[in-house]
This record gives sequence, C-alpha cells and structure tokens, in this order.
Amino acid sequence: MTSLAQRIDPRIRTAFSAAALAAGMVGLGFASVPLYDLFCRVTGFGGTTMKATEAQANTAAAQQTGRVVSVRFDSNVRNGLPWSFRPERPRETLSVGARDMMIFIAKNESSVPVTGTATFNVTPSAAGRHFSKIQCFCFTEQTLQPGQEMRMPVVYFVNPAMLDDPNARDIQEITLSYTFFPVDEAPAGS
Amino acid sequence: MTIMKRLFLAVMFAMTPVAVAAAAPAAPVATATAAPVAAPADAAATAPADAATTATAAPAADAAAAPTFEYARPVDGVGQPVPGGWDFQPQVTETGRYAHWLNNVVLLPLMTIVSLIVLGLMLWIVARYRAKANPVPSKTTHNTMIEVIWTLVPVFILVGIAVPSIDLLAKQYAPPPADAVTVKVTGYQWYWGYEYPDHSVPEIISRMLPEEQAVARGEPYQLAVDNRMVVPVNRTVKLIVTGADVIHSWAMPAFWTKMDAVPGRLNEVTFKADQIGVYYGQCSELCGIDHGFMPIAVEVVSEADFARWVASRGGTMPGAAAPAAAPAAAGAAPAAPQAPAAAPTDTPAAPATAS
Amino acid sequence: MTDIAATAPADLHGHAHAHDDHDDKPGFFVRWFMSTNHKDIGTLYLLFAIVAGIIGGALSGMMRLELAEAGIQYLPGWASMLGGESTDTAGKHFWNVMITAHGLIMVFFMVMPAMIGGFGNWFVPLMIGAPDMAFPRMNNVSFWLTFVAFLLLVGSMFVPGGAGGLGAGTGWTVYAPLSTSGSTGPAVDMAIFSLHLAGAASILGAINFITTIFNMRAPGMTLHKMPLFVWSVLVTAFLLLLALPVLAAAITMLLADRNFGAAFFDAAGGGDPVLYQHLFWFFGHPEVYIMILPGFGIVSQIVATFSRKPVFGYLGMAYAMVAIGVVGFVVWAHHMFTVGMSVNLKMYFTAATMVIAVPTGIKIFSWLATMWGGSISFKTPMVWSLGFIFMFTVGGVTGVVLANGGVDQNLHDTYYVVAHFHYVLSLGAVFALFAGFYYWLPKMSGRMYSEFLGQLHFWVFFVGVNVMFFPQHFLGQQGMPRRYPDYTAAYEYWHNISSWGYAIMAVGMLFFFLNMAYTFLLGKQAGDNPWGEGATTLEWTLSSPPPFHQFNTLPKIS
Repeated sequence: MTSLAQRIDPRIRTAFSAAALAAGMVGLGFASVPLYDLFCRVTGFGGTTMKATEAQANTAAAQQTGRVVSVRFDSNVRNGLPWSFRPERPRETLSVGARDMMIFIAKNESSVPVTGTATFNVTPSAAGRHFSKIQCFCFTEQTLQPGQEMRMPVVYFVNPAMLDDPNARDIQEITLSYTFFPVDEAPAGS
Repeated sequence: MTIMKRLFLAVMFAMTPVAVAAAAPAAPVATATAAPVAAPADAAATAPADAATTATAAPAADAAAAPTFEYARPVDGVGQPVPGGWDFQPQVTETGRYAHWLNNVVLLPLMTIVSLIVLGLMLWIVARYRAKANPVPSKTTHNTMIEVIWTLVPVFILVGIAVPSIDLLAKQYAPPPADAVTVKVTGYQWYWGYEYPDHSVPEIISRMLPEEQAVARGEPYQLAVDNRMVVPVNRTVKLIVTGADVIHSWAMPAFWTKMDAVPGRLNEVTFKADQIGVYYGQCSELCGIDHGFMPIAVEVVSEADFARWVASRGGTMPGAAAPAAAPAAAGAAPAAPQAPAAAPTDTPAAPATAS
Repeated sequence: MTDIAATAPADLHGHAHAHDDHDDKPGFFVRWFMSTNHKDIGTLYLLFAIVAGIIGGALSGMMRLELAEAGIQYLPGWASMLGGESTDTAGKHFWNVMITAHGLIMVFFMVMPAMIGGFGNWFVPLMIGAPDMAFPRMNNVSFWLTFVAFLLLVGSMFVPGGAGGLGAGTGWTVYAPLSTSGSTGPAVDMAIFSLHLAGAASILGAINFITTIFNMRAPGMTLHKMPLFVWSVLVTAFLLLLALPVLAAAITMLLADRNFGAAFFDAAGGGDPVLYQHLFWFFGHPEVYIMILPGFGIVSQIVATFSRKPVFGYLGMAYAMVAIGVVGFVVWAHHMFTVGMSVNLKMYFTAATMVIAVPTGIKIFSWLATMWGGSISFKTPMVWSLGFIFMFTVGGVTGVVLANGGVDQNLHDTYYVVAHFHYVLSLGAVFALFAGFYYWLPKMSGRMYSEFLGQLHFWVFFVGVNVMFFPQHFLGQQGMPRRYPDYTAAYEYWHNISSWGYAIMAVGMLFFFLNMAYTFLLGKQAGDNPWGEGATTLEWTLSSPPPFHQFNTLPKIS
C-alpha cells in the first residue's frame, strides 16, 4: 500500500484531496436538508414547535406560576385547496405550563374528495422552543370527502422554561399558524 | 449650527404628539374632515360594498352610530419620498428614530471620516512620494507597532458601533404588549391582504391604484392603493405576515420596518407610529412580473377614527380597547432622547399632522 | 517579497532562443479549441470575459435607459424584439429577465473568468516559476464548460420562462418558490443548468490552481515567498472549492422541486423556502470574496511595482486574505436579515459581519503603507489601483452600515444595497480588472498600450461610475426598492442622474476599446519589463510575450 501511495504523483494526490473536499461539500449541501430540519426541531429555530410527552406535560403543569400568556391561532389555505379551515376561537388565554386544546375545523367545500397536508410554525420565533405540542395534525395527510367537515385537535402547553429565557420571558402572545396545502401538485417545470 | 437645528427640531418633534393629543379630543373628526380625499365618489367606487353602503348613511356627529370613514390625503414629504431627497424618510416610530440616529449620527459620520482619512492619506502620499518628489524609495516593509494599531483601532470602532446596534436590535424585537393591535398581512401575486382578527374585520384586499385615480385623490402614482391598512396612533401594531404564493416583503420606510412574507410560514414584526398620517411602502422581495406594482399604504389615525374605520368595515372594537389610553401614550413618546437626531431635516412635519 | 536570482531562462525573445520545443505552436484549431497551454487558455478566458462583459454591460445600459425617466418606455418593445410579445406583461417580465441575466453574466461570466480564468491562468504559473498548470487538459475542459454555460444562459433568454414571457426572471439569487412554482417553462431550468456547468468549471479550475500552487512552485519559492496575487488565487480557489458545491447541491434540489415533484424548498411538501436562502448565501457570500480577492492580489502587485517598494506587511496581507476567506463563511445570513430570524441570530450575524472590516482595513492600510516612502509613478495600472483602493473603501464602509441588522431593516433590498455592491464590484473588482489588464497587457501582447488613452479611460470611467452609483445611496435611503422597472415620480431625479452616469461610463469604455485597437495596430514593442525595477515578480524576467513554453529550466528563488 505505502509503495503504491508513494508512486502516485503528488499532484494527483493534491487534486484528489481537493476533489474529495468538493465532493464532501456537495454531500454537506444535500445533508443540510435533514440537518436543518433536525436543527429546527431541537432549537425551535424559525418558530419550530417542540413535541412533548404526557409526562413532560404533567411536569410543566406542576410548574405553573400564575403568569398567563395569550395564544393566537392563525389558519391559511393555499394553492387552491378548496377547503375552509378555521380555528374554533381566534385566541385563548392560559396559564404558562397549563395544558390546553384548540380545535381546528376543516371543511371540503368542493364536490370531489381532496387531500391536504399542513405545515405550521409559531411566532415570535423565540417562542418556538417553549411551545410544546402533545398532539397535532401536522404533516399527516387528511382526505376530506365532498362537504365533509373534520375537527382537528391540537393539544399544547407553553413550557414554564420560557419565563427563564431572557429572549422569551416578556412574550405576551404566541401565534400558532397552520397552513393547509393540497397534496398532489404537478411539478412546476417544463 | 447643527446643534441649534437639532434643538429646534427636537422641540418640533416633542410638540407634535402633544398637539395631536390636544386636537384629538376637541375635534374627533378633524383628520377626517380637514383633508378628505378628492372625490368621495371615487372612494365609494373602489371600496368594497360594505363601505359604500355605510357611506350613504346619514352623517351624524356620533361616530359610533354612523360609521363613515374617509381616507386622509397624504402630506408631501411625509411617508413618501421627495424629489431629490437624499436622507431617510422622516421617521414616525421610536425605533425608527433610533435607527435613523444610529445611521446619521454614528455610522454616517464615522464612515465618512474613514473614507476621508483614506482619501486624504492617499492624496498626501501621491503628492509627497511621487517619483519626482522622492526619487529614491525607502525599503521599509514592516512596522509592527503601526500594524497592531491599524488592526486594533478598527476593532475598537466596531465594538463601539456594536453597542447601539445590538441595543437597536433588542428594541426592534421587544415583544409587543398584550393590547397590541394585530393585523394579519398576506402577500399575494401581486397585491396585499390585511385582516384584523381581533376586530372581526375580514381580509381587505389592497391593490395599486391606476394612475388617473391616484392623481384624482392627490396621491403619488405607484404608491397609492385602493384600500389602505388603517391603524391607530400610539398603539403598538403587531403584524403577522405570510405569503400566499411566493415570497414578498412588507416594507414601510417611514416606520423603519420590513418583513418578508414567506409562504407556509408566519413572521411577526411590530411598530408603533406616533404621528397621524399616510405612509407608503413597496414590496421588497422580487415576486414576479408586478413586483414593482404592489405598493403598501398605511394610514395612522386617532383611536376614535380607528373605531370609525373598523365600524365602516363591519367590524367591532374589542371591549378592552380604551380610547383614553391614546393621549396618555402620546405624552410618553416624545421623551425619547434620540428624537432630535432623527428629526426630518427638510420638512418639519409637526404642523402638517396636527391640522 | 522575493528577490529573484534569475537563473530563469534568460530568454529575451523566445523565438530566437535554443529551447528544444520553443516553437512547436500547434495549428489554429488545435491551439485555440483544444488548447492545453495556460497562456492561451488565459487569453481565451479574457476574450470571453470581454464579450460577456459587453453583453452584461449592454443589459445594464438598457436598464439604465428604461430607468432614466418614470414610466415604462422601452420594455415591451425590447421583449418583442427578442421574440416575445409586445405586451405590458411581457415587458415587465423582460425586466426581471434583464436583472437576472445582468447579475449572472457579470458574476459568473465576466468577473470570475477574467480574474481567475484569465489572469489566474496567465500569471499563476509564471509567478511561481512553473511551466504550465498542473492539469492542462482539465484547464481546457474548464474553459469550454464555462463557454457552454454562457451559451445556455443566453439561450435561456429565448425560451419560455412562464408569466407570459421569455427567459428566467427570478433574479440571480433564484429564490424558491419564485424559481419553482412561480416560474413555469424551461428558461429557469436552462439557467440553473448553466449555473451547474459554470460551477463545475470553477471547481475543476480551483482543483487545478490548488494543485499547481502546492506542487509546482520553482525551487526556493516557498509559500511565504509567493507573490500576493498567487496567494489571492490560492485563497480564492479554496473558497470556490468549499462554496460552489453547496450552490450546486442547492440548485440541484431546485431542479428536483421543479421537475420531479420534490419539495426540498416547498412548504406544501414540508420543505422550507428559507433553507434555500441559507444554502444560496452560504455560497453567495464567499462568492463576493471570490470576486474581489484576486483583485486584492492584482492591486498588491501593482502598488508595489509602481511605488518601487516591496509590499508592506507581506505576511499580514497574505493572512488577511485567509482571514477574510474564513470569516466569509460564517456571515451569510446578513443577506437575509428580513426573512424572520430570531434576535440572537441577527445579533450574531451583525457582529460577525463587522469583523470582516478588520482584515479588509489591514489591506487598505497596508497598500497605503506600501506607497508611503515609495517613489511612485502614476502609470495607468497604478491610477486604476488608486481608484480601486478609494472606491473599495467607500463600498466597504457602506457594507459596515448594512451589517447592522437593525439598520438593514430599512435598507434591505433597497437601492442602498445596489449602490453598496456596485461600489465593491463595479468600482472595486472591475477597477482591479482594468488595473491588471493594463499592467499585464504589455506582457501578454508584447505591445504597449496608449498611456494617454488609458488615463482618459480611467478618468471618464471613474466619473461615470460615481455619477451612476453614488446617487443610488440616496434612492435607497429614500426607500426605493431594488428590481423595479418603474417608480413613483419622486425617485426620478436621482434615477435620471444615475442614467447619465452610465452614459459617461460608456464613453469611458469607448476609450478602452480605442486603446485596444491602438495597442494591437500601432502599439510599440514592450520590452521584457516595461515597468522598471519595481516589477520584481518572475513574469517580468521572461520575454513579452513569453515563449509558448516557459521555464524549461526551472528558475531558482533565493
């Protein structure tokens, strides 16, 4: 092996090292997609919400201090999805740490079955890491028959750790936004 | 000289909200009647049906009973560019004045000085060390002391800049109070939608006015829109911004505010305008063919006018909103130390907005 | 930086000398189309960059003409001339096509080919005492890939781009979703594929430069004795190697989103359009240093030559470039301050961006110190370099203003940004290009240019670009957004002046082309070293033009 390595022109070695570096960066470019997703889910970057278990919810509920926060619910329908989609109430005031539930109501207003999927985030972005959902309908595809109405619950709590976060402790209102898109969309290119 | 000018402008600025506050309770319809749009018929023609029908209701003194609202005329030099203007537009938010101060009093002079030092040194070197003046070049290639100096001095300058810069960011990101007025902004190809979820005002579509209509209303073409976003003065406004199709950007130069409207995602930005008036902005992220033709217009009105506007749109004011809060907040606003530097240099805005 | 004991082939006029292979120039087709000679490939790159620069410059002329007055005057007509419809819509789309093409052409097909492909190819081997580049055939592949990429980009302007017009109207940043769901038709695919090819060409070029510089230096030419231009190309090559693959990955994902129903950047499928911006600017910010670092190198050579003094603080200069390259990778998100990021992130990117001002300041002050105590002659290349130093300073300080995330909240995507990056590129990189061109033209062609026309070119161009771009700061402060084909009447005043600036600049370019004609028709023979004792790098020990194959006996550097 060593003799082979020695016989290789040093220029070839340099070139291959450089090419490997470039190939590595291509890999990193593609790897950024899952890495970015992971990063968002861990840090709440860009207002990504956290997922929580029942046990975590119970712990949070035990840490309530009486500080209340308002949660606003925002809903959007895009790309011509023929649905109506609204939260039951536009906002809710709750104690930090307390568990709450909001029902979003989606209705297929068209005469054919339509499948949709939702994306979501919270604002301000600093609140993302403190907004925990125990149950939600994000990225699960929903098919609605013509005229069918579906009630989709989101069970969530605001983590009391928010009150210790200098960037988030003064937040008075968190907005949770959902956007529903139709699922089968033709690619845009030629 | 500049100090005198700043003092003068500081006084003018300090007086503005006071004047507004004083005028507001005495004549609640002042802004609406003093400068109505050119032809109410125009407004009725382009406004949605609900506005048109309410406009025909009997004009009574009691605003709550007869929800009429007419857009105010913009004032030249406020909330819009001026021909040949080179400075920022006059800022009507506290953070805007702070940022304007940071630029005009800290950054711009520093940057000018740095550029002039480089230019001056260069000219001096050119004169002193041209071949005729200095036929034998020195062979100096190192001077550790001077290299350390020109590394460290910029570091100190940058640290000095960073302090107010970081402070400004913190102020821009201060979480809005619980009573903030929330407006949902949606960017479409190629118009804007404004919805007031707490006032039950459904989405209002805001499109650019054709040239004739803009001129008829006394508004600048390509900035004028059919339906403005209307917000109360001296109240924090929280915009929740999203895009419907591609990325747009909601920008308002006079508020020092800009936020991208990204599809599938909600962004939040706040401002608190402390002068009644009409302000224009434009979409600031390339969004296709009519990117240049989806302007933004915000009308900042008194609390009472805002209530009237909400009613004219078929909405209701949330019970908690106390009109008495407005004058109190107005008194607090001009205390800002950065007001003087941020004052408009060419157009004193005070008399205009108080009229 | 280095004294050369010229055991170099002391060959004054290549043809007359007794090298074994001094005159084995291949025939025309083989020489120019299958070239493996670094100087010929460098010449091809320079010619290519000039042609691309004429096209990109013509586009900016059309834009300034349209913007000279309020209202849309020419766009529908131009759109129909290129085969589109003569409608208002097609005209506005054509505007977006022009801003896209102008940006891409100037970045990928003018500045980069000229700096790296042209001067890099010509002078890196000469300066380090190497006979050629490490991989001459790969060098040729790089050039022709760039060429085909350019044809694809220009071709994309003639195929449907969606929205009722021809061409890709996405801006050079190709942001999703405007570039995916927002633009139907093959034009955007063609433009993206063009970027793939240009990127591949640059990556191959970068590998070639790195290998050449690391392995083919003449005996005694240690890294710390290399001329600063070689240092600048080395740092640039590493930036290319690390940044371009990320762009390649990002635009490949765009193609997948467009054509294969993927949703990397499409919120509808769980993707995030903001991720595209992160990836683009992870490439895009180093890219601006890719465009300017070789310019730093060129200016360092010229300032030292015409001051008849070695560069002041050589090591500081070399490592300032390394520092700029490294820090350049961790500041990208200042291009996306308004995208909706957390305050902590904005504070970090504000601070990190301002840090770049420190090594940049070191370079500016070191150039001044190089001149200090010198015996300066103000030949055309030196005048362009002086212009570069001052104009780059002006562009740099507005960069410090924009670095402040809080201030940028107003200035973002306004003409202030346009003014800033044209000061560092159109008055920075382009000044460095002209400086290098006049500096090395006698070496490359063997003929002297007209000093009078060169000076005239500088002064007219200098006035023109300043009249063109300085008022754009005012427009930006007044709130004028970028990428607008039309504007409200209040902006007309400065736009009009700015357009006159273009006209002045265009006259300046006329003197440049006159000067080129003069040089090749009437130019006097240039000696081996027309610049005198200040020109100490190895290329000046060779004949002008250098022999087809140089350094068959390697020079020794003491």
